[in-house]
Amino acid sequence: MKRFGWALIALLLVVGTACGAATPGGGAGGEGGTLTIFGDDPPTLDPALMSDTTSAVYVVELFSGLVTLNRQLQIVPDLAESWQISADGKSYTFKLRKGAMFHSGKEVTANDFKYSFERAADPKTNSHTSDTYLGDIKGVKEKLEGKAKEVSGVKVVDDSTLQIDLDAPRFYFLAKMTYPTSFVVDKENVESGRSWTDKPNGTGPFKMKEWKKGEQILLERNASFYMEPAKLNQVKFLLAGGSAMTMYENNEVDVSPVGINDIERIQDTSNPLNREFVVANTLDTWYVGFNVEVPPFDDPKVRQAFNHAVDKSKIVKVVLKDLFQPAKGVIPPGMPGYNPSVKGLDFDPNKAKQLLKESKYGDNLPPITFTIPSSSTTVDPVTEAIVEQWKTNLGITVKIQQVEWATFLVDIKRDPLKSKKNKYQVYELGWSADYPDPQDFVDILFHSKSLDNNGAYSNPKVDELLDKARSESASEQRFRLYQEAEQIIVNDGGWVPLYHGKTYRLVKPKIKDYLSAPMIIPQFKYISVQ
Amino acid sequence: MLAYIIRRLVWTPFVLIAVSFITFTVGHYGPGDPVQVLMGQKNDPEIVDRVRRERGLDRPFWEQYVGYVIGAPKEQPAGMSAVEYVFHFAFSERHPDRQGVIRGDFGESYKFLGQKVSDLIFSRVWVSVQLGSVALGVGVIIGMMLGLAAALNQGRWFDPVIVSGGLFLSSLPVFIVQPLLAFLLSRQLHLLPSSGWDSGVLGLGIFSPKIIMPALILSLGPIGGITRLMRSSTLEVVNQDYVRTARSKGLGERAVRINHIGRNAVLPIFTVVGLSLASLVEGGFISETLFGIPGIGRLAVESFFARDYPVIMAMTLLVAASYIIVNLLIDIGYTFLDPRITLG
Repeated sequence: MKRFGWALIALLLVVGTACGAATPGGGAGGEGGTLTIFGDDPPTLDPALMSDTTSAVYVVELFSGLVTLNRQLQIVPDLAESWQISADGKSYTFKLRKGAMFHSGKEVTANDFKYSFERAADPKTNSHTSDTYLGDIKGVKEKLEGKAKEVSGVKVVDDSTLQIDLDAPRFYFLAKMTYPTSFVVDKENVESGRSWTDKPNGTGPFKMKEWKKGEQILLERNASFYMEPAKLNQVKFLLAGGSAMTMYENNEVDVSPVGINDIERIQDTSNPLNREFVVANTLDTWYVGFNVEVPPFDDPKVRQAFNHAVDKSKIVKVVLKDLFQPAKGVIPPGMPGYNPSVKGLDFDPNKAKQLLKESKYGDNLPPITFTIPSSSTTVDPVTEAIVEQWKTNLGITVKIQQVEWATFLVDIKRDPLKSKKNKYQVYELGWSADYPDPQDFVDILFHSKSLDNNGAYSNPKVDELLDKARSESASEQRFRLYQEAEQIIVNDGGWVPLYHGKTYRLVKPKIKDYLSAPMIIPQFKYISVQ
Repeated sequence: MLAYIIRRLVWTPFVLIAVSFITFTVGHYGPGDPVQVLMGQKNDPEIVDRVRRERGLDRPFWEQYVGYVIGAPKEQPAGMSAVEYVFHFAFSERHPDRQGVIRGDFGESYKFLGQKVSDLIFSRVWVSVQLGSVALGVGVIIGMMLGLAAALNQGRWFDPVIVSGGLFLSSLPVFIVQPLLAFLLSRQLHLLPSSGWDSGVLGLGIFSPKIIMPALILSLGPIGGITRLMRSSTLEVVNQDYVRTARSKGLGERAVRINHIGRNAVLPIFTVVGLSLASLVEGGFISETLFGIPGIGRLAVESFFARDYPVIMAMTLLVAASYIIVNLLIDIGYTFLDPRITLG
């Protein structure tokens, strides 16, 4: 999903879009009532094209796939009721749920999945997610390059049995299958015209009832859902913005994000709103990244010095009002494989100075520019605090450069094929999970061959561990390999891990079973309104 | 006058072409890339190249611009000479998603995948126009009444109080008034919805209580300026010969004030309000975000950050066209309000 800059997240906290919320059981009434929440216009509802969190909120409710995530972020059966993995880990056979239907009442078969996978991998679909999420399936690459008509790795055994062959054993494969790129779509619906997603015929627990662009989206309960149908009758998304807290207190919405300006008021236990306060982790890590291809960050000692010079606890306490959790490593808490005992490079100004002196640059550091993606007229206080601490603890003056997000994305990207380099020396960013597997953090961001390794970090030992983890089948063992790699990355000063995010929300007491999930998962089916 | 109007209309396409060319050039050569924004941090260069190719973003600048205006060809055949290609480009079958602005096709949004720019824009412009007109109408009526009252009470305490009061209201930023009123009327008294928009059945939002607060607050903007303008233009005409003549003819004071003073004093207001009409299609980012109005202002700002060039282009053209049209209408309108003015 889309990774936001810190400034954007701050804006989200303050303006309060893209969050869950709920209203009393008015409207259509009935057993579960209506949940009214904030939303944004989704850039797309096509599961094969979707890559942003805004769209994901709707897509995971309207459509579904072979497997899904439950509230504990475990991979559980969805349209597939069971599956078998071959001994070599390269072949998955899914048994589809009998009687599962599209919203139109048509039964879902293995052929629908074959169509959906091949459509997603068809160059004409122009999906930019199919490489990432389906690329492990045999034949997807050929199809994407226009060299094959079919995807050879997806085989229909019979109407309710689907076999998927991979090019190599990938034990995060099922985790990737929870991402919408592999969701099932109805061929007839897709071929009905370019605006087919205005009336999507999905398989999810909710159906699209109405979409007034910019104004509201109304999802309606799918009564013939193949598992326990949702309790709510409707979910109403208000798309036009507005002041979330005011709307919440005026009973216009039932869930509101709590921004940094309201947090003290809400945390006060004498405030009645305090009882409606819900806090949850988000699976993300915010960090200072180093480009190891340019001086002075090619020397690990400099990176370590810059790590030891930052007092994260103080930043989180003073600047972020303890809203977030200081980070020691790369993998965020709540993620499978999170290591609570990872040893960070703790705040130690003396050690920092010592390391800097021992580095090959000594006291002669080249000028350093710290780049952050931001369109604000003022500098983010976290950035200011970091720069101030580097100045105080290392005696180095670092220049801050703010770059607007669209430009930032182009400039930070490395493309070894075109010998394009990351333009920045050191930068501040966040990374949030697309699927609950540590591979999504450690492998994607630090493997020397990964295209998302913006800092060009490279350590043969880390690559070796990551390669081993890719084909390790036992989860415990796999997680240990990622943790081992994570510790080496931290020791190398690959990043300055800053903090992990949390969401703060107010939820009306009449909303039952509301849970702030750390990722976007199908969750409205659990909720009811009293 | 007809010749004048025709001459103005003939110039319009040239102005629009110039505007579109400048916007397109800035977008093309400016920093940032729509495909990279779409993909976020996880963007494999190979995939970026493929998506760019599919959207025709890999074509040379002139092809993209001319394609935007007259439509891009459906096929890009290889092995043609430059002359043949230009011919092919101009006359072959058009790409279904890029028919060209001259055929009324503003293309597809880069951000809202598969959505026509025209579908995205026009419903939002309509919302902005509704809200803007109501706010402007309220502001102008109040401003004119205040200005007239101030002018006719010139020299008394009433006059400066009205003028400075109007200026005070205009200077209040929307991001201060909105939270204050929302706190009072919504959070405390629960009288009005704090934000949102209800387009109802016919797409008309002006009958919903949701429009009251935003329209009221946005009407404050024009009040100060209109009050001052109305006051000064009234003072200018109030001592004119024709007013004295009208009075000496024995006309009632009411008739003098409305037909002789008011009608002449309103001319400058006409220009100001006319130009504000053109700006209605622009909407406003801050106010729309605060009030939760699905207008064009928010879309414009979001499109810029997403480098959604087709939307940005369409909006620029729309705003330029509305300024041209409104300016023409103002000029024509003058001839009706003031018979001394002729167009030629």
